[in-house]
Amino acid sequence: MKNTQGMVNAFFAFLLVVILGIFFFNAINQPLGNGLVLNKDNPDLSKRVSIHYILKNVHNAEDYLAQHKSSYFRNRDKVKSSNLEFGKTKNAESGSANEVTSIVVNYRGFDTLGEVTVLFISILGLGMLLHENKKKYWAKPSLIVRTGANFLFPFIVLFGVYVFVHGHLTPGGGFPGGTIIASAALLLILGLKDFKNKLTMTKIIESLAGLTFAGLGLVGLFTNGSFLTNFLPSGTMGLLVSSGITALIYIAVGIKVAAELSSGIMEMNGGGEE
Amino acid sequence: MIQSTFFYTTAIILFLIGLYGVLTKRNVIKTIITLTIMETAVNLFLVTIGYVKNGTAPIFTSTISDVHKFVDPLPQALVLTSIVIGLGTTALMLSLAIRLYKKYKTLNYLEMDGEDEK
Repeated sequence: MKNTQGMVNAFFAFLLVVILGIFFFNAINQPLGNGLVLNKDNPDLSKRVSIHYILKNVHNAEDYLAQHKSSYFRNRDKVKSSNLEFGKTKNAESGSANEVTSIVVNYRGFDTLGEVTVLFISILGLGMLLHENKKKYWAKPSLIVRTGANFLFPFIVLFGVYVFVHGHLTPGGGFPGGTIIASAALLLILGLKDFKNKLTMTKIIESLAGLTFAGLGLVGLFTNGSFLTNFLPSGTMGLLVSSGITALIYIAVGIKVAAELSSGIMEMNGGGEE
Repeated sequence: MIQSTFFYTTAIILFLIGLYGVLTKRNVIKTIITLTIMETAVNLFLVTIGYVKNGTAPIFTSTISDVHKFVDPLPQALVLTSIVIGLGTTALMLSLAIRLYKKYKTLNYLEMDGEDEK
């Protein structure tokens, strides 16, 4: 009886999935309409939404839009922009060589503040739900695991720090770097017999990093008039010390995510300081 | 264009697999896994929208400085946000699963009955 019920459920679910699939495949095979279409074989930069982010001339585009309201959309690529070249361009609007970082942290920094808040709230909820969790004692780690954990821990942390310090130059950034460091904490939990959860310490580090993020935004508010403005000189594109507050914010995000995810892992390992 | 279509197709198939799993599986952990598969499909779809033919990563290096060849950085930034929020929701779902298992000693929805525990 129960099996028949399951078969019927599976049949109807399969039917629904097939019908939805037909709709989806039909949708992506429709001929394109008369709107603005980006030719993906030979992309025209002026038809992209992100043209001003790529060319780093959002402020110039704002001025242009205020002056020529009617002709802006035809002349988007004619807005003045500096010539972007790695290692040579000085004081570009957002000095980071990695465009994704310049969008995530500089142009849409407020969005990232909200994202970090969502992560914080979810880890807070995890702590609330697992509050009564007793500390687990795993099977005694073997010699290989113990030695490997002790040997690899500093290198993993170093790699994580490298990833988030270079977030404005290379792929990666605060979130992946923080996750790498949290994986080092997980290795310690698995590899050390007498590992002690340090929840208070991680919470303090996390709060300080979050305060740094918000504080940098507030400094921009008081000096340049809007929240999370780049109030430092952005320097030469491609150097480690460049791009103003973008690099500082990504370091703060990296430390915050590392502490947050480590505390989440410790919470799952069994809360409490004992 | 062929490559774009391939990725769109993969994203849709992954999404449908996830949907089928959510509808039929009766285990909390399996539901979480299938939800994660759906999330991955949506992320893949969004990244594919920003793809251009023979594109490079949107990062200036000493050899790459042709902005016309960059793939679109905007969907990538949105997907970064989406991945982080997905991580948060997955962590919450897993902790809820731990609580459910502690209370009912099973992970099957059909066997979770409030009256059994008394």
